[in-house]
Amino acid sequence: MDILTAFGSGLATAFHPSNLLYCFVGVFLGTFIGVLPGIGSMAAIAMILPLSFYLEPGTAIIMIAGVYYGAEYGGSIASILMNIPGTPSSSITCIDGYPMARSGRAGVALFVSSIASFGGGIIGMVVMALLSPGLANLALSFGPAEYFSVILLGLIAASAVSNGGALKGIAMVFAGLMLATVGVDLTTGDLRFTMGVPELRDGVNLVIVAMGLFGVGELIASIRANSSGQGRQTIDYSQFYPTRAEWRASLGPILRGGGIGSFFGALPGTGQTVASAVAYAVEKKVSPNRANFGKGAVEGVAVPESANNSATQTAFIPTLTLGVPGSASMAMVIGALMIHGITPGPRLLVEHGDLFWGLVASFLIGNVMLLILNIPLIGLWVRLLQIPYRYMYPTIIVLICIGVYSLNNNVFDIWLTLFFGIAGYLMRLFRFEPAPLLIGFVLGPMMEEQLRRALLLSRGDPMVFIERPISGTLIAVTAGILVYGLWTTFRARRRSRSASISMSE
Amino acid sequence: MPVDEPGPVDQDVTHRPHAWWGAVGGAVLVALSIYFMAGGLGLGLGTPFRPGTGAFPFFAGLILMGLSIGIIVQDLGSDGLAERPDWISFLAIGASLAVFALTADRFGLLPAVFLTTLVASSPDRSLHLPGKAVLGAILAGASWVLFIKALGLPFDAFRGI
Repeated sequence: MDILTAFGSGLATAFHPSNLLYCFVGVFLGTFIGVLPGIGSMAAIAMILPLSFYLEPGTAIIMIAGVYYGAEYGGSIASILMNIPGTPSSSITCIDGYPMARSGRAGVALFVSSIASFGGGIIGMVVMALLSPGLANLALSFGPAEYFSVILLGLIAASAVSNGGALKGIAMVFAGLMLATVGVDLTTGDLRFTMGVPELRDGVNLVIVAMGLFGVGELIASIRANSSGQGRQTIDYSQFYPTRAEWRASLGPILRGGGIGSFFGALPGTGQTVASAVAYAVEKKVSPNRANFGKGAVEGVAVPESANNSATQTAFIPTLTLGVPGSASMAMVIGALMIHGITPGPRLLVEHGDLFWGLVASFLIGNVMLLILNIPLIGLWVRLLQIPYRYMYPTIIVLICIGVYSLNNNVFDIWLTLFFGIAGYLMRLFRFEPAPLLIGFVLGPMMEEQLRRALLLSRGDPMVFIERPISGTLIAVTAGILVYGLWTTFRARRRSRSASISMSE
Repeated sequence: MPVDEPGPVDQDVTHRPHAWWGAVGGAVLVALSIYFMAGGLGLGLGTPFRPGTGAFPFFAGLILMGLSIGIIVQDLGSDGLAERPDWISFLAIGASLAVFALTADRFGLLPAVFLTTLVASSPDRSLHLPGKAVLGAILAGASWVLFIKALGLPFDAFRGI
């Protein structure tokens, strides 16, 4: 009953006109940026972050969340129409969405993806409302040792099973932790690694790191990918609504996808891409229509879309209740809250309950907006995809420049963005993922502070992390993930090496 | 797996320049870890009871060093870069940011946006210079309307002219 009351007051917050407006702005801009191929939700959030500084914290977070799930949704539009995933997590949607579009059923595919995203989003929101208070209560008993361990778990989980392999993922986390030490040490007041540059006294700005690594890095890589003409689809509006049989066929996948997505979204380090991939694999096993998967099955669009959107919502659970983000986008949400003076963690529900429940309720409104926005606007997104990229990318670079410049009105920030942009592109070439770096960068100061506190309380005894039961369990889980990540990396390497040896023979 | 990894990589264009190429990333990380370890030592490590300012960067650097050596070993002789580098776009985008940084303070926002657009679109051959200039002018005008007029950001449209 408590949850219902809290949700009710959250609805009242979310229905506040300014919150409604910025929820709409967020969802619209998010979808807009998400539709652009190669530019993901990370870059979208980074571009919107400077704008959010002018808003109330609750409104800002509602807008950022709207950008996030709007971008995830927008990504699936590009997947279906052009076979280019706008965001990595929508790559699964390409498998059946693009064949549907090629057979002239793009309208149906887009419609089903809207409905499935909506269904998944609502499932994820319900899971979040039910689980968060309990998890936050548990976390209220956390001391510094538990916090340190849960942050460590979040960092390792987010990096050990990354695309470039466990070693590179973890190395990026540590690079992020080190980058976070630049500036004034909050405990002692000493300056660290500022190289005598006064602008670095306050540390490196999160927006700059994110804009450089993701915005600029992704942009450079997307120019050539988009300059070649892709197969663009025309939409037959007479074939927009799914048939009754297709409605019925989509219902099960939406529910299953939503359930699977909620689970993986809430786990640190998995998130939407894993959620939609697993949900698709499961659906392929259980669906009566499995023979048509990959050839344009409507279930194959419904299930990843539902899974990825519910995971988008449940990703907020660990982010807000523990203060541990599962992905780089969630790290940005944490960074945004901190800029507004709010520390995410178990106390957030107690101290800023209105903000939390307002956000949960805004998911409902935002998902309704996505639905009503996207059905009439599909034509607009299609036209957007037809704008040649040579007009798009200079526009994006201008937006990045102005966004960064607006932080402090200082061109030093642009030079720093250039530095991180170069780093981001080179990292991409050398198969280093920027996401773990950003997560480490955001969690670094918190981790260092909790480490120092835990050691102070235990009089310098590092065993405190293992001896306290919750902390010890978290460390054991972390070690398990680490071993698994390293094992899979080396196994994959050995396999690819033996494959190349047998090829050369 | 983190959710926000960069977009899918075009596997068809993977090429193999040199065997040592793959180790460059790891080597850069080794250099970075040495920098932070040395800095951490200089700042003071303190005691386990009261870790000094330099302790966290030092030990983070130490672990990174270990990982980076592992990466070098792993990547030596790996199959090259993840995708064919696009150095022209890389240079154009880098130069466009530099142009913005050099001009925004001196000439104001509108000239900076105009020049940034010209430089960023320079590798594109399908658009002639007048077309690029028109695009730059449109973006400069739109930035003025959106950021200075509508959002009221404290930028000067023109400066020092």
